[in-house]
Amino acid sequence: MSKTVLQGIPVSAGIAIGKTYFLNRGSSTSTIRMNIDDEHVHQETARLKQAFSLALADLEKIRKKIPKELKEQTAIIDSHIMILKDKKFQNSARDYVREKMINAEWALEKAESDIESAFIKIEDEYIRERVQDVRLVANRVKSQLYGQPADIRSLTQRMILLAADLSPADTIELQLDKIMAFATISGGKTSHAGIIARSLQIPAIVGVEDLSELQDGHLVILDGFNGRIIVDPDEDDLDHYSQLRYQFAEYQSLVNRDCYLPAETIDGYKVKVFANIELFEEVAAVIDNGGEGIGLYRTEYSFLNRETLPVEDELFEEYRDLASIIFPNRVVIRTLDLGADKIATQFGPVREINPALGLRAVRFCRKHPELFKTQLRAILRASVLGNVSIMFPMISGVEELLEIKKIFYSVRNELKTKRVDFDPVMPMGIMIELPSAVLISDLLAREVDFFSIGTNDLIQYSLGIDRTNKHVSYLYQPLHPSILRSIKYVIDAGHEAGIEVSLCGEVAADPYCVPILMGMQIDSISLNPQAIPGIKRIIRQATMDEFKELLKRVLESEDVQESNRLVREMIFTRFPEELMFYTSLIEE
Amino acid sequence: MVDDNTLQVKVSLDNEFGLHARPAAILAKEAQKFSSDIRLSHDGKEVDAKSILDILTLAATHGSALCIKASGEDAPEAVRRIKELISRRFEVRG
Repeated sequence: MSKTVLQGIPVSAGIAIGKTYFLNRGSSTSTIRMNIDDEHVHQETARLKQAFSLALADLEKIRKKIPKELKEQTAIIDSHIMILKDKKFQNSARDYVREKMINAEWALEKAESDIESAFIKIEDEYIRERVQDVRLVANRVKSQLYGQPADIRSLTQRMILLAADLSPADTIELQLDKIMAFATISGGKTSHAGIIARSLQIPAIVGVEDLSELQDGHLVILDGFNGRIIVDPDEDDLDHYSQLRYQFAEYQSLVNRDCYLPAETIDGYKVKVFANIELFEEVAAVIDNGGEGIGLYRTEYSFLNRETLPVEDELFEEYRDLASIIFPNRVVIRTLDLGADKIATQFGPVREINPALGLRAVRFCRKHPELFKTQLRAILRASVLGNVSIMFPMISGVEELLEIKKIFYSVRNELKTKRVDFDPVMPMGIMIELPSAVLISDLLAREVDFFSIGTNDLIQYSLGIDRTNKHVSYLYQPLHPSILRSIKYVIDAGHEAGIEVSLCGEVAADPYCVPILMGMQIDSISLNPQAIPGIKRIIRQATMDEFKELLKRVLESEDVQESNRLVREMIFTRFPEELMFYTSLIEE
Repeated sequence: MVDDNTLQVKVSLDNEFGLHARPAAILAKEAQKFSSDIRLSHDGKEVDAKSILDILTLAATHGSALCIKASGEDAPEAVRRIKELISRRFEVRG
């Protein structure tokens, strides 16, 4: 095969040169055809067989749970069991794997569509509609198939991982020692996979449409700066990119040398630089990269990928360990932000047409008060063992905040009665990530000790775009005048009320955006640990006057293009070396 | 398919919606209890009685004439039981 170039959206900087491996799972909406070779036929038929038997075990479990009175339901499940056990279905899928040499997912899809076409011809509407049962059953098998952990462990060398999509749950299971970079078909500039890639410090690209045509074992260059995958590169490419990879490593070691120095401008204005983390293990990266504490600890991960909910002691130990290891520096623990793309399976499937506007974060917690209280108790107990702050996400109004505070205080009283120690003056803050919260930030400021502006969601909700949807991700503009005005409004309202204002979105790690935030006199920023050294370096090399001047000009500009041009100009003239290695949220 | 050892019997399908999901499931389940090769035919189409998907795509509606064929050791018993099931309108005893 001759050289081809696939284009996607760069989300994590760096260069990787290696062989591809397609992860055998993804969203059920996009099944991928993969050609397999002789030695994988057995593996794929075995996966298929296992998926059928797991789906069967599942259905039999469900059947047992149906009360005897519900004969109709039992009959439906019985017919589904029969469809699942139908040798025609299973064998036809198996034969597709063997004869067409294709992956189990695609073979199943083929077998299903064969059956569907037989049904479509049926005249009797009632019987024809039974095709729905076939689909339901096929979906059960599919979810087993996709849910099966791909055997990354069997890889003998480090690979460039390709996948249809990587959910937050998937990315947890990534084993860094086997993956040098990854690329996905879906996703946009700020999708979760990118956040993970940056925290793992591996290059990554999302939104690569033609990825599914790439088979396993191809030599590729993954260019995380420009979002390109060069398939079957020639000698010149290999030379060029090997050199770039080396230069990037040099640059990283240069910025890392000074990462422990404070983020202080030449003229003496200091800003705190904290880290966003979601796994306890990342604490090491925070310390190594000169993070002055943890500005956002995402707590969802102890709730995902498991059958039962964590108990209070387990959460307490997690928070205690975190607080004590980062002490005397601060850790801001954000309460559960479950919902939207992070679903805890323990609550059963939640079907929401619009999950981003649905039951998530504090709304989810109010619906499950016991779960919420368990977490609050754990945080309060850990508060005496370090420098702990608590933060509530997705607050939309004063009433909602008061309701949450009421629950918080009832938990405190409960602990007091039981004579359990907690810090009575633990700082309490909220995320400002909804346009409604921005506009009433002056009112909200009276109720809390600090704000943290969550720009990822704020941009999404303000501009009305799904940040993971690649069709609209071009509209994701951090320097949109409405976003800049919102951020400025919140910072000013916070300062007016005498509280601290932080910012913890991806914007805080973007060299093009940080100068603007500095000009607005943000008190602290919180970003992925790996980006801290570079951002500190920019702040340390400039003056507050420069930042303010830039902000003034940007606020006067009427459109995004002009704002983007202004910041690019500043970065170009002042920090040209940063440009080479940073991916920015700002469009070229 | 039809050889000297094949038993064959015709029945009429009287249940309300014909061979839809539930009856098809019951029928396939019953057929699977026998070692004989059991076929169902209707309207010039012949399918495997042990496969629910086959039975469904036979699209036998209320009032259809069905033909049950079986060949193998337990063929007589198989034909008898399936015929009974159909004439009982798939009401499972017990």
